[in-house]
Amino acid sequence: MLRFIIRRVIIIIPMLFIIVSLTWGLIRLAPGNFYTGEKKLSPAIEQNLREKYGLNKPWHTQYGKVLWNIIRFDFGSSLKYEGQSVNQILWRAFPVSAALGLCAYLLALAVGITTGTLAALRQNSWLDYASMALAMIGISIPNFVLGPLLVLVFGLTLFWLPPALWNGFPSKSIILPAITLSAIYIAYIARLTRSGMLEVMRSDYIRTARAKGLSESAVVTRHALRGGLLPVLSFSGPALAFLITGTVVVERVFALPGLGNYFINACFNRDEPLIIGIVAFIAIAVLAFNLLVDIAYGFIDPRIRY
Amino acid sequence: MSHSSSRLTGFARIFLLAIIAAGCATSAKETFFGKTKPPQANVLRYVSGSEPESLDPQIPTGQPEARICMALYSGLTEYDPKTTAPIPELAERWEVNKDSSEFVFHLRQDARFSNGDPITARDFVYTIRRGLSPELAARNASLAYYIKYAEGYNEGGVFVRDANGQFLLEKDFSDEAEQAKKPLSSKPVDSIASEYPPIPEEKTPGTDTPFHRFMHSPDRVVLPGDEKGRKKALDANPKLKNAIAGKEFVPVKPGDVGLEAVDDYTLRISLTQPAPFFISLMPHQFFRVVHEKTIEQFGNAWTDPSNIVTSGPFKLQSHKPYDRIVTVRDPMYWDAANVKLDGITFFALQDNATIMNLYKAGELDAMLNHSVPAAWLDEISPMKDFMDAPEAAIDYFLFNTTKGPTSDVRVRKALNMSIDKRALAAWRHIKPLTALTPEGIFPGYPQPKGDPFDPEKAKRLLAEAGYKDGSGKFDPKKFPSDQVELTTNPDGNNLPVAEFIQAQWKQNIELAIPIKIMEFKTFLVAQSKLDYKGIARTGWIADYMDPFNFLWLYYTPTGNNGTGWWDPKYVEILDEANRTIDPQKRYQLLAKAEAMALEIQPCIPLTTGATRWMKKPYVKGMYPNPQTMHAWKFVYIERDSAKWDYSVPRMVG
Repeated sequence: MLRFIIRRVIIIIPMLFIIVSLTWGLIRLAPGNFYTGEKKLSPAIEQNLREKYGLNKPWHTQYGKVLWNIIRFDFGSSLKYEGQSVNQILWRAFPVSAALGLCAYLLALAVGITTGTLAALRQNSWLDYASMALAMIGISIPNFVLGPLLVLVFGLTLFWLPPALWNGFPSKSIILPAITLSAIYIAYIARLTRSGMLEVMRSDYIRTARAKGLSESAVVTRHALRGGLLPVLSFSGPALAFLITGTVVVERVFALPGLGNYFINACFNRDEPLIIGIVAFIAIAVLAFNLLVDIAYGFIDPRIRY
Repeated sequence: MSHSSSRLTGFARIFLLAIIAAGCATSAKETFFGKTKPPQANVLRYVSGSEPESLDPQIPTGQPEARICMALYSGLTEYDPKTTAPIPELAERWEVNKDSSEFVFHLRQDARFSNGDPITARDFVYTIRRGLSPELAARNASLAYYIKYAEGYNEGGVFVRDANGQFLLEKDFSDEAEQAKKPLSSKPVDSIASEYPPIPEEKTPGTDTPFHRFMHSPDRVVLPGDEKGRKKALDANPKLKNAIAGKEFVPVKPGDVGLEAVDDYTLRISLTQPAPFFISLMPHQFFRVVHEKTIEQFGNAWTDPSNIVTSGPFKLQSHKPYDRIVTVRDPMYWDAANVKLDGITFFALQDNATIMNLYKAGELDAMLNHSVPAAWLDEISPMKDFMDAPEAAIDYFLFNTTKGPTSDVRVRKALNMSIDKRALAAWRHIKPLTALTPEGIFPGYPQPKGDPFDPEKAKRLLAEAGYKDGSGKFDPKKFPSDQVELTTNPDGNNLPVAEFIQAQWKQNIELAIPIKIMEFKTFLVAQSKLDYKGIARTGWIADYMDPFNFLWLYYTPTGNNGTGWWDPKYVEILDEANRTIDPQKRYQLLAKAEAMALEIQPCIPLTTGATRWMKKPYVKGMYPNPQTMHAWKFVYIERDSAKWDYSVPRMVG
């Protein structure tokens, strides 16, 4: 087990190196610079800027600095936002994305697993059909449509909830974005739970459990769920990583100061240190959560041994 | 100035479409858009646009930052709330010498920074020198290039000094005609009084000082500081090249820049050229005063809410990037008694649909210009809280005059003449434009008219240019349509506008000109390198209220020009205009230059901008002015609904 974990941690290092190098290369390929604007600069002013930000140094020096920054986990200063360090931005934006992502995640798990289990237990009933139809809709409606629709109903017609902005956590302002963000995950989890449960409920050990006279609820909660939720687990680990590291669309639609919003603007602004900082941060989060899921497997599924 | 807001990505576009459904749901009878309940606190909730690059007034270039800086910092002059003409702020009054090449500002003596320190002329000297320092690398530094030796200092230039300590002078290396045109600020003066128009006795434009005499001595030669640039400059002037042999290069220092604190409350600024518009530049954020000790102590981190010291009617309380900037009234501000709001919260919002939603829900009181999406105009424009006015801004297409068919003036004129700009303007709820300066912005300016819509003449011109069949008639098939394309970035309304004009050409002169879409920054790079085929979209928002700011676009062959057309004769007329003291005569000369450029047709003028924003009726003291700049101390929240704004001037009926 320990050897497995160490091997997986070590592999993160070359992965990160590749991701960061690719990102850096792509930024360099894109024309324009953080200071390119509608208003043109005189060559001398451009020269001053290049001098100030070390852009006239040879490329390998600049690339080396990027790698060194990653090693120290200090990504330097944002180019676009004078006086703000990338680390500062990360630690300010991450809690927003994390709060939103976590709310959406818990909502998705609670609603998704409940619906999926009920659908499986009452297979081919109206409940099953209705919940799976809803799940299908959930998967099909993209969140840039769902978000505005929710805003229209709850924000602009009923005036129950604010249509956008971040008022800290907890506050009413998180409700609409969390629902918007969770919809597709609710749908996936419900479907995964249902099919997982259907398979498990037909298996021999459930028959054994019933045979030894356990009540139906005990069979479901103590035995069936444990096996039936394995597909959900492998889906929800990486899902959590993606959810808490920022979601571009939802954060933009609701104007939330999260990582996703920063990321998309950093790309438009050609803000190299910020792009690399966010990419590295998300990459580490995703790799770490994948590892955690693999470890969790070992505990939940008795068939898996490392 | 750039508007760095409203860059719609694909999903946001669809999002917008989805939300149009929301718009349609409101009844047409409503007078105002959404809720009209004033906020409980006496605090204005304003959308300032995209997240500010910095709260350091010398750094950012965009309008969103300008409006935040207007709350936090004071300048020598401020924008008039209705006209945006300069009004006294920290300068109580000023004197201008006879040819507008030197300005003396008299500062009010009760002005203080937010920490209580007095604001003196020395603070302004520090502020502008700092803005010009190459280390700060401010992108707006060129706004201060009118000041003597400012450009040389900002570019890291050098003077040339001989063994006797004498500097090489420009007059020895240029012809006499050139010297005769030098402004008063470069000529020796007998007395201060002879230099300035008569003023009452107790008010003097400062005293004569050694620095003043240095400013009025003949201009020194300034050469580029780097070897390569210097070699290039010297190769162009052999006489100068010979003269520098054995002489020493002395860097231009901040102390050489034409800024002088004559005493604590008198600031004298000497310019390289007559610039009557210089006063209009002073409210720009680049010239707003900053606190030296704070900057020297905290360096880059001086704008942190815990460190910052400001000079405006409001001071910073907190800054949450990508969310909001909270400011509160500064009791130290000299006119604090007349500041009506307790504070302003600036929201950093980018998405127009989100802004409109929040405004409708009553979570916001006012928003920045261009926030109302074009697709909503039919519904929004009848509403009483819609603020529309002609804007000191223009939309236009550049011609690449250096290559391809568009290097022929007849082709350029034909392409311009074959667009029905009235139809374009009607479709966009905006004003059409045929000239290089925006229409209806500068009262008394005798703006020349460009060519009217005339497709028949366009065809004749194209035939003359050689695109004709055997009988001498225009033949669209002969036109090399693979050598001309309309290049644009897809953001905002650019694409629909390009398509509209493409259809116009197809319909009116049967030319099929393809549209080429480029990502914003990629496009800007191509534009400045003249790396586009034929035609490229662009726009300009005024930095200061003067027609010269628009004519200046063709003042140099590079930079914002983008067309490749440049004519020293055009520059000569502009210079002459700026030397002219009588404002009406000056306007006539500017108009003469504009007419000359219109003959060359380096671009296709399309439309004058429109401000397009909204404010709740209870917000008073904010007006739809041509730059959408609001001097915040005049703004207040009116709780008596009888005194609300129920009608505002409207540009489109």
